[in-house]
Amino acid sequence: MNPVSPYLAGLRYVAPEVLLTLVALAALVWDLVLRGRDSRKVGYLTLGGLLATGWLLVQQWRDLGASSTGALGTTVLGMVTIDRFGTFFKLFTVGALLVVTLFVLFDRREKKHGIGEYYFLLLGAAIGIFFMVSTNNLLLLMLGLELLSLASYSLAGFHKGDKRSGEAALKYIVFGGLSAGVMLYGISLLYGLTGTIDLGVMGRGSADGSAVGLAAQFALSPVPIAIAIVLVLAGFAYKVSVVPFHFWTPDVYEGAPTPVTTFLAVASKAAGFAALLRFMGALFLVEGVDAAVAAYADRIGLLLAILAAVTMTLGNLSALRQSNLKRLLAYSSIAHAGYALMGVAVMTSAGFSAAIFYLAAYYLMNLGAFGFLLYFEGVTGSEDVDALKGLGWRYPLVSCAMVVMLVSLTGLPPTVGFYGKLLLFYEGVEAGYAWLVVIAALNSVVSLFYYFRVAKALFLTDVEEKPALAQPVLASVIAVLAVFTIVTGLFNAPLEAWSDAGPASLGIPSATGSR
Amino acid sequence: MGLGAYVAVSAALFVLGLIAILVRRNVIYILMGIEMILNAANINFVAFNRFGSMKLDGQMFAVFVIILAAAEAAVALAIVLNVFNLFDSVKPSEADLLRE
Repeated sequence: MNPVSPYLAGLRYVAPEVLLTLVALAALVWDLVLRGRDSRKVGYLTLGGLLATGWLLVQQWRDLGASSTGALGTTVLGMVTIDRFGTFFKLFTVGALLVVTLFVLFDRREKKHGIGEYYFLLLGAAIGIFFMVSTNNLLLLMLGLELLSLASYSLAGFHKGDKRSGEAALKYIVFGGLSAGVMLYGISLLYGLTGTIDLGVMGRGSADGSAVGLAAQFALSPVPIAIAIVLVLAGFAYKVSVVPFHFWTPDVYEGAPTPVTTFLAVASKAAGFAALLRFMGALFLVEGVDAAVAAYADRIGLLLAILAAVTMTLGNLSALRQSNLKRLLAYSSIAHAGYALMGVAVMTSAGFSAAIFYLAAYYLMNLGAFGFLLYFEGVTGSEDVDALKGLGWRYPLVSCAMVVMLVSLTGLPPTVGFYGKLLLFYEGVEAGYAWLVVIAALNSVVSLFYYFRVAKALFLTDVEEKPALAQPVLASVIAVLAVFTIVTGLFNAPLEAWSDAGPASLGIPSATGSR
Repeated sequence: MGLGAYVAVSAALFVLGLIAILVRRNVIYILMGIEMILNAANINFVAFNRFGSMKLDGQMFAVFVIILAAAEAAVALAIVLNVFNLFDSVKPSEADLLRE
């Protein structure tokens, strides 16, 4: 048999990734051909490429629906795993990228020429996310994560002459490089202890004895295992900005260009969560793990629960003091990382589903909230909450949409944010983390104060007569997101079914971990 | 020399890298600290591969980490150069426009 043919057969599975890579290269080359003139053309090419990739992913999702496990298989050498979990996050990444690309195209303060690399870097980051969420192999996970990170560092510093942008990039790469190094060191220890870099083999041990499963190592060398897992978790914690690895978040989010902040807060963070869920699932929850491993999972879960509680409390309390809307949203995104982490901490299949659902909700409401921020930066040139005063009456559509986002971020009905939180709270109580649910509920009340402050500035202050400045594309994107936020909140069954399919396709039996 | 020696060297390198990052104020030293941590991981990968009679996973990982380190250094130095142009300094403590 031709030695190359298994590789070629595997290409079918990574068709979306291949297409996205081609689009990224085409964007880069076309920008060079255009010599930096009219970068919007590159932006439209990017939009087209993303739509085509999305179409391929929808096809893949359908194929996955036909298979009983929700997983299609693995390409050669066990590098890329195609399952519903990964495809779900890829679809949302493409959706978020579409919105971010529109933000870049219609950002009034962005240059129209010489910014072709913007799209190339965004696409590069997306390719990183694609590989990151669909691999059980730690090497590919790390490469995807670094591809995402390197593109993000450059994007954060994209405005080269802007001091704040430069500072954001510097802080991002210092923290990012450190956490990537720490995570790699953790992976090297895990490799040494188990003899494999494949998460599936690591969780269960290999049949031929070439690799030792985690279960055997818990008894032999508990301390090195604990150190290794904590180091790897530190890398994930940085990516999703969980305390104590959140220091970079407010500064980077504030200094980076707003579309980039949107990308970091939404796509990058969700990708971090996806990789974390796959990591935890493959090591601790898949079918056939040892009893010792399951017991260990509870301990890790407790650690994550404590981190979740601290993260959401710190995020919300810090957000209370912010007068800068961008920084406020940055702290709010830290708080939401805490909520989503609850779903991971409960260490059950249903908890993972709840976390996936919440991340989907988080995509919708944060894309909308950052879109609103971009819209009003274009109008007022300022990021301050005070600058919004009375603007609600002049821009009713966008402002009403923002109020919907704020209601959803707070977690009130009838929005998707409410249902997401409801699922998380329910699974939290089910798994015996009632204390965590109480803290989360109190935090939601706290968050009401600062979210309401934005709504108050918009509507409850006097109108200042000035001609309105129309940004129709941004306005319609935000309005569509707001409609989605309400519709998926009211009719949540399909989204819930999709997020339930995720853990099942990872091979996590639905009854695990219930105490 | 046994596996223990290699792991000890790598652990020492890791700790030294961490200290460099935490103590030094100059971003060039911080980046060097990060490189040391990456190389500590590399020593681990190669040593475990050699002594564990495993497949070539560890060697392969080490090669890729070297590439990663190079790519990261390139991006980092570009960012540092930009920051130096803007702030006339390569100390993170002097680039402090973004804060509460």
